[in-house]
Amino acid sequence: MSSFGFGLMTAAVLAIATVGFTMQFAVTNVLNLAYGSVMINSAFVAYYFNKHGMNAWITLIFGVILGAVVSWALNKFVFTPFQRRNLAPITVVIVALGVDLIGTFGLQAIVGGGYVSFSVSSGREFHILGMFLSGMQLIILAICAVVLTLVHWLLKYTRLGKAMRATSANPNLARNSGVKTQRVISTTWLISGALCGLAGTIFAMNTGVFEATSAQLYIVMLLAAMFLGGPGEPYGAMFGALTIGLATEISAAYISPQYKEVVAFVVLLGMLTFRPYGIFGSEKTN
Amino acid sequence: MSVELSQAGQVLTATNLSAGYDGRAIVQGVNVEATPGNVVSIVGPNGSGKSTLLKSLVGVVPVLDGTVAIGTRDITNFAPEKVATLGVGYVPQIDDVFPPLTVKENLEIGGFLLPRHDVASRIEAVLEFFPRLKEMMTRKAGKLSGGERKMLAMGRVLMLAPSVLVLDEPTANLAPMVATQLLEEYIRGFADHGSTVLLVEQRAKAALRISDWTCVLGGGRVVLAGAPKDLEQDPVFVESFLGGGAARR
Repeated sequence: MSSFGFGLMTAAVLAIATVGFTMQFAVTNVLNLAYGSVMINSAFVAYYFNKHGMNAWITLIFGVILGAVVSWALNKFVFTPFQRRNLAPITVVIVALGVDLIGTFGLQAIVGGGYVSFSVSSGREFHILGMFLSGMQLIILAICAVVLTLVHWLLKYTRLGKAMRATSANPNLARNSGVKTQRVISTTWLISGALCGLAGTIFAMNTGVFEATSAQLYIVMLLAAMFLGGPGEPYGAMFGALTIGLATEISAAYISPQYKEVVAFVVLLGMLTFRPYGIFGSEKTN
Repeated sequence: MSVELSQAGQVLTATNLSAGYDGRAIVQGVNVEATPGNVVSIVGPNGSGKSTLLKSLVGVVPVLDGTVAIGTRDITNFAPEKVATLGVGYVPQIDDVFPPLTVKENLEIGGFLLPRHDVASRIEAVLEFFPRLKEMMTRKAGKLSGGERKMLAMGRVLMLAPSVLVLDEPTANLAPMVATQLLEEYIRGFADHGSTVLLVEQRAKAALRISDWTCVLGGGRVVLAGAPKDLEQDPVFVESFLGGGAARR
């Protein structure tokens, strides 16, 4: 049951990250492999403020802002110029991979290779449904629940959310309907970047100790969760994150935790082989 | 038919228009004028550039030479979202709805440029016109049949009460009865109420029945144009598009 609790925490962080990741992919058509790098950079910015005495939960705001601004800037100054040149989609993927390496190792060059941790109280322990969860973990779960509810509300009930879904489904038709898709895409980078920054910061808090390269393999978890739920399907991403989070942590109880990403990778390969459009996706999405 | 669904038309003119992809012209030197209260149809074989022509008029495909105008306003190479604000409603041949969105959400996106408080009443107006859509408001557009989907595509553009309707093969993949109803009742009806209708139609006979003027496109150029009754007398047109038998009737 304790591994279930760990799984739930992993799933919560992964859900926020994957929803942002898949939103970027769906609306902007960019498979942003630099996502993990933006996550960890956001975590370090939040950590910087925490190190200088700010409450860890308040530093989340700075993680969110950095994630949003950096993601927006990446789109504006890196991905969009490449997309405008009508190059093969793989070119943008390779560019994203390059950005990931620069972001991660550039950060490492700045902060060094050592481990750091947030100064945050775990709070008292709660015994819920057979799981032991700390106060901090419950706050993270609550943040996850609130964020996912807000994302649902955004996509389902707001003009912007509907325009995002329309742009994702058929950008030309959206433009013919009067939707300014470039503005929608920019806003999507801001929102998904904010989710990326938030996920990165709570990932670092939840992990305990972290370093500049801690999120390097996180992209495997993100891809597995996204392809499990269906590329470009935010609700699929939530489902995928829950499944991958639980599967990796429960498997860690039986095999070495070092193989967590391998479990995610096996799921990813399985989905790509048998159902590349995911459980919630359709062949059209694929 | 509710008059308020579409507005009094504007003249849509393409003058000496060349358009295509990657700098390569698919249509060349085309002149077309669609006027209020009339249906202008464009017919021609597959690959003659009919769809490219329509796309260039609404900003989806770049115009390489010549001009596109609404009334006296030059709209050459305007972005599609800008063209929409000028009262031009475009229904593409394929990918004419947003499959993951519900019928209601598709209509809401159709009314994206409307003030928020007007969207609900416009949806009501469109539903009066296409009452069958009422039963499927919560259904995803991707789950609709061909006819329902086309109805939704038309409903989507009607949300903005367009003055010019640009329709790319609206009857493609529809059952003959549905196609006839769409053309003769709805599309002709828009023109009869003053709108401008520019229509690409594969089925020449059906197009001629509802058109006031028809252009024949071949190899990206207008090879023939005239009133339907004149074209029906043209042996080459009859042989090519109406079946040789029609000439003998």
